[in-house]
Amino acid sequence: MGLRLKIEGNEQISLPETSIMSVQFGADIPHDSNARSTDLGSTAQIRGKILAAVGGEAADDTSKIARWALVPAENADCYRKVEIDVVSASQIVRQITIPNAFVVDYEEDFSDETGTGVFTLLIKQKKDKMAALKFEGGFSGE
Amino acid sequence: MGFTLKVEGPNTIELGTTGITSVKFRADIPHDSNARSTDLGSTVEITGKILTAVDGDPFDGTRQLGLWSLVPAEKADCYRKAEIQVIAASQVVRKFTFPNAFVVDYKEDYGDTEGVGTFRLIIKQKKDKMAQIAVEGGYSV
Repeated sequence: MGLRLKIEGNEQISLPETSIMSVQFGADIPHDSNARSTDLGSTAQIRGKILAAVGGEAADDTSKIARWALVPAENADCYRKVEIDVVSASQIVRQITIPNAFVVDYEEDFSDETGTGVFTLLIKQKKDKMAALKFEGGFSGE
Repeated sequence: MGFTLKVEGPNTIELGTTGITSVKFRADIPHDSNARSTDLGSTVEITGKILTAVDGDPFDGTRQLGLWSLVPAEKADCYRKAEIQVIAASQVVRKFTFPNAFVVDYKEDYGDTEGVGTFRLIIKQKKDKMAQIAVEGGYSV
């Protein structure tokens, strides 16, 4: 299963399947509601590797994500369009488009035992724009 | 993966790749916000070894980190400039610069089985100076 991440804002961030390790997508709905709640949100957690460039290739885009996590709320660039693709056997199993995503958590983990760093990015869709979130999949790609 | 730490204040504390074992960088944002929050912070956690000097080498800078963690808030040098580099394959993967870092936790651990002690330092950037943080990387050493 290959996972791809694309983030569009003031700059383009693209991470291929060699980098992304896991994606968790979920709906945030109050568990204690008696009937369908209107308080609906959505969160995605993406984990991936921070790869060091070798052989003169360009560095990966993970440092751009770190800088996105530090964009203040006053700046319109804190909301970006995120597209997550889950690809398996030439099929797009899922294509999740989060058009107004903002960062709620970002962590980078480096250790002297592992050869690569690991990042964890937690994003949410702006709650009043939940209707714009797209959840597609089940078509052939590649 | 190698790490270097440089803290500039009244004196300069430098720790090299032999001393530091891990670095964690984190953005602190409230998880329950409905839209982008203005309450933004950033934390770095550094763990490493407390090495004993042999063959007349100078002592490592870990004692200076301990002294920094004890500087009272009334003194200006509780805020120092911290620079952390992550280096792999002759590339600077990350360079974090916290120009107004302060210590929120410092711990040293010693036991009779390990040959060296370990330390854990947690620093934060002063919250009203968040815009001054720099995250760079992706260039050769």
